[in-house]
Amino acid sequence: MTAASDYVVIDRVAKTYNPGSRQQVDAVTATSFSVKAGEFVTLLGPSGCGKSTLLMMVAGLDTPSTGTINVAGQPMAAPRAETGIMFQDPTLLPWKSALENVLFPFRAMNRPVAPFEGRAAQLLDQVGLAGFHDHKPRQLSGGMRQRVAICRALVYEPDLLLMDEPFSALDAITRDEMNLVLMKMWHDHRRTALFVTHSIREAVFLSDRVLVMSPRPGRVVEDVAIPFDRPRTLEIGETAEFNRICAHLRNRISH
Amino acid sequence: MTVIDTVTATAARAPVRLRLVTLDRLRSAALPIGFAAAVLLLWQVAVDIGGYPKVILPAPSDIASALAANFSEICRQAVPTTRDTLAGFCIAAVLGIGLASLLTVNRLLRDAIYPLVIVIQLVPKIAWTPLFIVWAGIGWPSRLTIATFIAFFPIFMAMLAGLESTDGSLVRLCRALTATPWRTFWLVRFPASMPYLFSGLKIGITLSVIGVVVAEFISSSEGLGFFILKSAALLQTDVILAAILVLCLVGLASFGLVHLGELAVRRWRGD
Repeated sequence: MTAASDYVVIDRVAKTYNPGSRQQVDAVTATSFSVKAGEFVTLLGPSGCGKSTLLMMVAGLDTPSTGTINVAGQPMAAPRAETGIMFQDPTLLPWKSALENVLFPFRAMNRPVAPFEGRAAQLLDQVGLAGFHDHKPRQLSGGMRQRVAICRALVYEPDLLLMDEPFSALDAITRDEMNLVLMKMWHDHRRTALFVTHSIREAVFLSDRVLVMSPRPGRVVEDVAIPFDRPRTLEIGETAEFNRICAHLRNRISH
Repeated sequence: MTVIDTVTATAARAPVRLRLVTLDRLRSAALPIGFAAAVLLLWQVAVDIGGYPKVILPAPSDIASALAANFSEICRQAVPTTRDTLAGFCIAAVLGIGLASLLTVNRLLRDAIYPLVIVIQLVPKIAWTPLFIVWAGIGWPSRLTIATFIAFFPIFMAMLAGLESTDGSLVRLCRALTATPWRTFWLVRFPASMPYLFSGLKIGITLSVIGVVVAEFISSSEGLGFFILKSAALLQTDVILAAILVLCLVGLASFGLVHLGELAVRRWRGD
């Protein structure tokens, strides 16, 4: 049933916390979907619908109660070094410079750092942080910190990029900017991407496909293809088709 | 505005700022020194006019001459006190950091040992001093043991608090990046706990001095504590105060060493 080009395959995955106890929470009920290689897919849903839980299971940071997850043909059991990840907060080491933070994955994986310094610096330049390489996180704005986190997720050239509401803590203007930066970086580096958000417009702007999740216990209730050509600009947000898709998604979320 | 204008304007402003900084620094040093001088002067005048017996309250000038007269003796006694303080502190630091690290990495050990450490910590540490003298004799080993014992707890507790307060999302990031627990410890938990550790070390060094002096009070034939007690028996109040002054300098110097260590670690961490 799964095509060879399916990079991430979620097969009847469910997650229950504290099973059998009074605090039992069904976070995700048997849900299945797949992401093709090179595709940008967004999980869209209301807060608490289990979309982050799903993402963490794809990252190997959480295990499904039932069902299986396959990434690149391998069943997921533990985190894999070929996955890039972004969290809701930038999660930077406060005592290290922007450049050192971008290089952090190599240190964590106990790989030599020096050969990648050039690439890390280049990535920082690409996200508009030229001249900020030696700044500490506290000297950077919220948007700049998330830019550093984007670079950190890309620097070791992962094949899969997982993003858990990375821009939800930012203001609307910065968020638009970050969407453009992410779009550009994804275009330049082309990775399979799974993105989680509760912002409908963000989901439509970024994705090839949007998967709508129901409120808890979450499952994917609709799979919407987004037809806009790439590279995209913020102007597509004003087109009638963009707004029609948004209205449709909004409708699906509230039902 | 031309470039030259800007440069001149900056150049003109710079010395003013520099002068303000120097003045500020001067002020922060001059104020406490001035206040201390005023108190000493008042003390001197009060003793001179009030005519208190020297044995009860010697004037600052008496203390100064007592220090001058006994300087070599006091310095000689300060050596073992300083040595035991620093040695006890260093052992306590190694043990405190080591045990806290071990308990953070191993959950089972933590649950087994941590409650016991809290219980021991609740007993006033000084109360153990006579026991250590029974066990380790009246020489430097017992003083070292007491200093270590008393300085260990704040260092251990601060290090453990620092290691456990590490941002959970950083630890999760390490897990996602397939870092081993040991690498996570070395790259994230350990550097993140440094501010906590140094607050513990600063308390530890202060307590280490106290531990050594108390041990010297109880049973010793050398050290500033012993010297103070001996002078008290001879009712040499001015000599006692001179010895306390030197003890104060010993404490200050040890504290300064810890502070230097903090600056070095900050540089290593890249602050």
